[in-house]
Amino acid sequence: MSVEIATAPVTAKESSPGFGLKKRIAGLIAGGIMTVLVSALVWVLAAVLPSKTDGPFTFLENICNWLYTTPVSVGIRESTLLFPAIEGVHLLGIALSVGMLCWFDLRLLGLVMKDEPVSKVWTRVMPTAITGFVLMFLTGALLFWAEAATAYHSVHFWIKMGLIVLAGVNAGYFESTTHAHVAEWDSAAVLPMRARIAGLFSLLLWTAVIITGRTMAYSF
Amino acid sequence: MPSLLPLFQWANNLQVADWVRKSTWIFPAAETVHIVALAVLFGAIVFVDLQMLGLVRRDTSASHLEKELRPWTFSSLIVILCTGALLFSSEAMKLYINVPFQFKIVTLFVAIAFNYTIHRKVIGAEAVRLSSVWVKLTAVVSIMLWLSVGFAGRAIGFF
Repeated sequence: MSVEIATAPVTAKESSPGFGLKKRIAGLIAGGIMTVLVSALVWVLAAVLPSKTDGPFTFLENICNWLYTTPVSVGIRESTLLFPAIEGVHLLGIALSVGMLCWFDLRLLGLVMKDEPVSKVWTRVMPTAITGFVLMFLTGALLFWAEAATAYHSVHFWIKMGLIVLAGVNAGYFESTTHAHVAEWDSAAVLPMRARIAGLFSLLLWTAVIITGRTMAYSF
Repeated sequence: MPSLLPLFQWANNLQVADWVRKSTWIFPAAETVHIVALAVLFGAIVFVDLQMLGLVRRDTSASHLEKELRPWTFSSLIVILCTGALLFSSEAMKLYINVPFQFKIVTLFVAIAFNYTIHRKVIGAEAVRLSSVWVKLTAVVSIMLWLSVGFAGRAIGFF
């Protein structure tokens, strides 16, 4: 008989208009904590790690060195406008991709748009996020092309690539397993742990990618 | 027009500015936070604007979405302004003559003012009295304003 109490229905959450002082203060505290964590990670990366590496793959090194000498590479690197423009678009790509994907991840964590089914948030967010990812990868490839030889010797560059692969693996695993059965938990009050973990990993990994992107630029 | 130089000099002479200048990694760390918060802010704004333009699903309203994202917009904006102020103070004298910076600061204030006045009003009235042309125009202006801020911000470091 006590089972009834244990599985009491989730009390309808007071859906306040969403601009309450409490929410803002909570947001600011979360922002403050994020700020400290992100800065701390930059410090650790910069202070603990040597920023240069010889790299074990002479084959890759040769390719990078060759890329570095191609006209396109020299052209981008030495242009006053092209390099900043490409970096600007790269930044826009980050804002669009991570900025949109984060709403889906936060939905998985149950922190935003709780009254909407997961699949609906997905269809709203993904077209823009994918556009952002395309922009980001294309401009990222160009930036790498321009600085291939320097990037090869940068530890931060390799960490960044590793993190991108991990983010991809996380997304791929989520897509092929948990998300494939989204219909079963689309509107659940509490999402499956696997979905929440995938969301959290996605947020953390992409934040870390942005961090290493910056530390890379500063230790070139 | 009175000169803003004293303001820049004051910022430049702050103790905090000195800490940032003397440390190798406070500046990059603050800049990283600036960019992460930027992604969240821009994501929130573009999300709402795309909804206003009818480019994402039509079965929810932009005003509902905007209210949902409001705490995120607000707190990411505060984080951006704080880290931005830190970055600014460390090189205030350099920025005084930096054209992209001047452009950025003007568009930033316009964008913030626009976001909390016209943009919000239009979203609130969206379903009631405004023709969709005005809603869409507001969304386009909003995207253009924030894009200008972003690109000008990126240009600061290169000029």
